[in-house]
Amino acid sequence: MYVFKAAVLGAGTMGAEIAQVISLSGLPVVLKDVDQAQLDRGMAHIRDIYARRVQRGRISEREAEDRIALVTPQTDYRGFADVDLVLEAVPEKLALKQAVLAEVEGQVAKTALLATNTSALPVTEVGAKLQKPQRLVGMHFFFPASVMKLVEVIAGEQTDEESVDSAVEFVEGIRRIAVRVRECPGFLVNRVLMAGLAEVFRAERDLGLGPKEIDALIAASGLAPMGPYALADALGLDIAQEVSETLKEAYGERFDLGGRISGLIADGKRGAKSGEGFYTYTG
Amino acid sequence: MTKDQETELLDRFSLAVFLEAVRCLDENVSTAREIDIAMRAGAGLPVGPLERADRIGLDKVLARLEQLEAERGERFHPPDRLRALVAAGRTGVEAGRGFLDY
Repeated sequence: MYVFKAAVLGAGTMGAEIAQVISLSGLPVVLKDVDQAQLDRGMAHIRDIYARRVQRGRISEREAEDRIALVTPQTDYRGFADVDLVLEAVPEKLALKQAVLAEVEGQVAKTALLATNTSALPVTEVGAKLQKPQRLVGMHFFFPASVMKLVEVIAGEQTDEESVDSAVEFVEGIRRIAVRVRECPGFLVNRVLMAGLAEVFRAERDLGLGPKEIDALIAASGLAPMGPYALADALGLDIAQEVSETLKEAYGERFDLGGRISGLIADGKRGAKSGEGFYTYTG
Repeated sequence: MTKDQETELLDRFSLAVFLEAVRCLDENVSTAREIDIAMRAGAGLPVGPLERADRIGLDKVLARLEQLEAERGERFHPPDRLRALVAAGRTGVEAGRGFLDY
């Protein structure tokens, strides 16, 4: 199925970033949020991303204006009857995602594809309240979506093959790299990465090393673009903790972070976004 | 940091990543090719974990895992799939085949 018009639900940072990516590919996209102020912030964020592209000479000012005009911000369901793909990017709360999708299902055509942008929730459960759960796919965009090329396309238990194919086609159409992933806790990238992170935390204890020397060693080795402590800071220590708890519950002790970051979180150090984590951030 | 500590740290990090990638492969979470693409595009790794093992040589990877299992515990237990590849002579890039084909 070809997508001629898309809609993104939720104008937070992730929703706005995704709408920007869709518009850059030349597709019209509705950006919907229940809150006008949030919608305004989302549109401002989209304009900022385009302004940076103009500054770097990646796109002309005129082209940027044309692309921004492809994004229609609104607080209602006007024009949803001819939307081919709805992607929800509301906060990561199961009940909220279920409710938002159940509501939009009544506003779009029976053939429209539904997608949930989640990094952690099971697609099967997100789709549990839908009349046609077979048309719901997971699309895990990485942060920041305007920069990161990968999208994990996740099939829930009820998702049909055709919907997965359409989702992959759409992701490639907006110039992203689609990887098909069968539903499992953590999906693919976060699961594999967190296994490495937990092992480094254990090695830090066993070998009596410091975070900064470990980061420097790993970055210099060329194994990864940055060390695991800098990565955890960038991700947000609270998020890293949450993801690892989910993974530990699902797969066992190899994902245990050994209390390495719970103390920092208790002190209000949540990584780069809070100004301090393993490292200190200014400005 | 001593040279031995450096080696142990880097091996434990990269092999923990490798082992989880193999578990994903065993559970049909994705294909070998797509797992490597995802780890490059989604996590910025310069080489995917499966191709990296293929480049090192799967016989060498197996030997190192056996050693780490003895020293650091069961979580480094070498996967059956890895043993089978080595037994079949599919030891990676040099052999022309490993987790991926070359």
